[in-house]
Amino acid sequence: MSPLEEVARLRHEALERISTADSLASLKEFRVQYLGRKGRLTAILKGLKDLPVEQRKQVGAEANKCRVQLEHDFDAAERKFSEKSEAPLIDPTLPGTAQRVGAMHLTTQVIEEMCGIFYGMGFEIARGPDIETDYYNFSALNFPPDHPARDMQDTFFVEGDRLLRTHTTPVQIRELEKQKPPIKIITPGKCFRNEAISSRAHVAFHQVDGFLIDEGVTMADLKGCLVAFCKAFFGEGLKLKFRPSYFPFTEPSAEVDIQCFLCGGDGCTVCKRTGWLEILGCGMIDPAVLEMTGHDPEKYTGYAFGIGVERPAMLKYRIDDIRLFFNNDLRFLRQFV
Amino acid sequence: MKVSYKWLKELTGLDWSPDEMGDRLTLSGASCEYIESTARYMDNVVVGQVIELGAIEGADKIQKAVVDDGTGRVDVVCGAPNVAAQQKIAFARIGARLVGDFLIKKVKIRGIESFGMICSERELGMSDDHSGIIVLDDDAPVGTLLVEHLDYDDFMLTFELTPNRPDSMSAIGIARDLAALASVKLRRPQIDLTEVATPASDSVKVSIDDPEACPRYAARIIKNVKIAPSPWWVRRRLLACGVRPVSNVVDITNLVMLECGHPLHAFDLDRFGSDEVVVRRAHDREKFSTLDGQEHILDEQVLLITNGKSGVAAGGVMGGLNSEVENDTTNLLLEAAYFNPSVIRKSRRKLETVSESSSRFEKGADPNGIKYAINRAAQLMHELCGGEVQAGIVDCYPKRIEPRTIELRPARCNAVLGSNYSTERMKQILTDLELQVSGDDPLEVTAPTFRPDLEREIDLIEEVVRIEGFDSIKDSVTNIGPLFSRTLPEDQFAREARWVLTACGFDEMLDHGLGSSRVAKLFNPDLPQVRILNPVSEELDIMRNSLVPSALAAVSHNLAHRVLDLRLFELGKVYFAGSDDTDWREPERLALAVSGNTPQGWRETARPLDFHDLTGALQRLVEHFRWPDFDFVPDKVWFLDDRISFRIESEERAVGWAGLIAPDQARALGVKQPVLVAEIDLDGLIDTRKDRIQFEPLAVYPAAPRDLAVLVDVAVPAGEIIECVRQAAGKLAESVEVFDLYTGKQIEKGRKSIALSINYRSQSGSLSTEQVEEIQRRVVSKLEQQFNAEIRDK
Repeated sequence: MSPLEEVARLRHEALERISTADSLASLKEFRVQYLGRKGRLTAILKGLKDLPVEQRKQVGAEANKCRVQLEHDFDAAERKFSEKSEAPLIDPTLPGTAQRVGAMHLTTQVIEEMCGIFYGMGFEIARGPDIETDYYNFSALNFPPDHPARDMQDTFFVEGDRLLRTHTTPVQIRELEKQKPPIKIITPGKCFRNEAISSRAHVAFHQVDGFLIDEGVTMADLKGCLVAFCKAFFGEGLKLKFRPSYFPFTEPSAEVDIQCFLCGGDGCTVCKRTGWLEILGCGMIDPAVLEMTGHDPEKYTGYAFGIGVERPAMLKYRIDDIRLFFNNDLRFLRQFV
Repeated sequence: MKVSYKWLKELTGLDWSPDEMGDRLTLSGASCEYIESTARYMDNVVVGQVIELGAIEGADKIQKAVVDDGTGRVDVVCGAPNVAAQQKIAFARIGARLVGDFLIKKVKIRGIESFGMICSERELGMSDDHSGIIVLDDDAPVGTLLVEHLDYDDFMLTFELTPNRPDSMSAIGIARDLAALASVKLRRPQIDLTEVATPASDSVKVSIDDPEACPRYAARIIKNVKIAPSPWWVRRRLLACGVRPVSNVVDITNLVMLECGHPLHAFDLDRFGSDEVVVRRAHDREKFSTLDGQEHILDEQVLLITNGKSGVAAGGVMGGLNSEVENDTTNLLLEAAYFNPSVIRKSRRKLETVSESSSRFEKGADPNGIKYAINRAAQLMHELCGGEVQAGIVDCYPKRIEPRTIELRPARCNAVLGSNYSTERMKQILTDLELQVSGDDPLEVTAPTFRPDLEREIDLIEEVVRIEGFDSIKDSVTNIGPLFSRTLPEDQFAREARWVLTACGFDEMLDHGLGSSRVAKLFNPDLPQVRILNPVSEELDIMRNSLVPSALAAVSHNLAHRVLDLRLFELGKVYFAGSDDTDWREPERLALAVSGNTPQGWRETARPLDFHDLTGALQRLVEHFRWPDFDFVPDKVWFLDDRISFRIESEERAVGWAGLIAPDQARALGVKQPVLVAEIDLDGLIDTRKDRIQFEPLAVYPAAPRDLAVLVDVAVPAGEIIECVRQAAGKLAESVEVFDLYTGKQIEKGRKSIALSINYRSQSGSLSTEQVEEIQRRVVSKLEQQFNAEIRDK
């Protein structure tokens, strides 16, 4: 048999065995028989140097072609067997390598979300102290001297004739003292009330207050701004209800109810079957406030609003205990990663 | 405040449903919180008659009654003390559902089957009276539905009223808003008073010592009244307003208050003690007993109604025990007065009580509504109690309080609201609210004295919009304001710090900021505290002066709930008092706390969190904000364990501390596993942030990495070794990192092995092997010289 014929027969024989092999072990054995160090094809390749030059070229090319094909076919056949019988390389259901990312506090997240919406409308953030004077917290905001909010029952008083602010609205006065209109500001921050701690009340809470003062600002602008905010924060398509109310520092004043976003206004336990949720207070800045801070109320008008942080968050995430916002329980914090 | 729906219908003539009334009123400022049917517990309740009563063997508190309910006779067990044969009673048949969702079923009590229940007012939701069963008139037709017989088909509307609207604290007040909403005329009850010839001024004189506190005091004398229960229509009306009927005289003063909002008080004239009324401030330590039986020791904050000698009423708050109307009362002194709101507020605080009367006076009653109120009450006392009303009112009103006139510019109204109301419409609304309006531009508006809240133009603008409704203002769709919103540097800082720290695996905690003086003292005895004067508890009696106790409290809370592995941070304020000369300070701080282990995974092995986990996070912040490096200088910090206690410095300025919480402090907060904390004062750091990154050209020439393991004494700080390498290699050492630290068996005691990975690179050309070896030799010899270092493996 010529060496060329030998290569052809060998190839034929080997392919036959690959296609009929019944186990990975026999495949491996055949591979050694043909392609191993002492294998038959290896022997042919080794023997090339003894052949005449002409033949060597021809046989060498064929034998190499054969080697490549066999290697390829052995690989493919082995792969087929190992897929059937052996464990896969990767178990994708194993947890990925731990990449622990911390959670921002829910209060932070809600404040960021609210401020982000107002920021998009051109509001700037301003901040003020938590420990305030009576002047900024009450007097300058037009609270009458014996308003019930000034009672010891509602407000924490601090030595040195100070108090813990009961809202972030004092920042409005501080900014009105510093700036000239137009002023368009939101004031997120911590506030305090002298209340017994329970699932519904806490000594501290957060608020995002906002106001705009310029020439020609109207109640229509206030409504437009709050409607836009509520759409962004609570979702499209919910109706708002503006109810007249009373705050010493705004007039006219209103409270805003939003159609319950859980039941769509049909009535559920969260909205106490009313279909409405009370979410914020607002109004036109009382001329007395402008006057007290040296702005001409005939020239300038303005609006102001205040939104709690924990309460809308409780509604949105159906949290039933306000203490969770302050006791730093990891089981709570980690839910908002 | 509660008001009867039928009453509102009567006063306005409107046929709106209860819901419609509630909704419209809510949208105009009187927030209607609940609407309840007064007859909601009266289904299947009928007029019944007790035919006979019999004792039940072995039971002395209950009896067996045979009741005729119009369809037949049934046995009923009854425990009421006032049940009697032949009585007409309210009978709940089987199937009735009473207060508290109590369903009437056939039951067996002491062997007797009972087929229904004889009801008290409480069981039917009429009042909280449960002293006995309801006894109906003798001519009540048996079998008729109780709600029909009593004409009890009404609704109770409960309002939450804002403090600026005392005028709305009555049926007429609410009806006035309704009338304005519907533009109809209010139908006030007509007064047609019959008086006897004797003038009241012969019977009583009134004088006011302090007309500031009591600008007006009016009295009427009514003789020969017969105290009895009120007729049913009065009781029903009171019940539908949530007020318990007492007796005709008291009920009438209540009814008139509910009707027009003006509190009245009736004294027993024969017990009054004199024929003069003197209104004065109480003397210091003067004793006085109010009709609820409480004895008070007064001071001059309390305004006292006296008989010239001693007190008979705490003016505007509560009557006295000594002059109270009782069942044998025949002659009355009826008081209608106007008190200064702030006087009443102080007075009721001193007396530590709130009454229907004080809550109306302290918000502001109508000084000129007194005549209506006292005449209306006198008329009813004549009609319902048979009283003889003496002629005239003894009216002490030294200085009349006049209504205010306010100008309203219609254009201004629309300019503030962004509305488009016509002047005519504004006029009409104000007129419907019973204000007097004249002129066109401006409108001259006179606000009656029942509207003390109307003082300025803006108050009238609010009246207009509240009746017209906020819905009548179109929401603006354009934005006004600055072109660009800046971000505060501290906000941007906080945002980025949160990114960095959460990316480091720390969870954000947030504290209310209040703390305990006891705990604060244990942590920092020398640090001043800001005391809260009226704390809710001893545990929250200061504003915190450090974030560390808050962080430890959070750790403690989690450990108590078996959450043991913690990495927490907080960005928050601490508080320091100032004085007249120094500012109060609320510096922003950052706290980190770690405790427990790193997470155990299928390929990660848990290890205890330690000091280096704190510094690792801090170094990421230093890197992010491009602050100067932090130095950790051993220092004694009060609440830290001496062994791991460091001051943090930035360019030799102390910015905080870090270390292991000392055992005493950990124990105080119930923490039983090691906790490491760091607290950084951010105030100076936020400003030192270097904002602009300067781009450095990418290296052109290759780097030559070399590893170097050195043996040094354990006390030699790694930082100094790195510094030494940098000095020896100069600019050629691009980076020097520690990649291994070893102490143990293979190493001499008291020594440690630090393995460094040094990257040499030149900016001016490729470093040859010889050059690198030359530098490395320099480094080695410097290390040997400085630290008595030995080089391992080479």
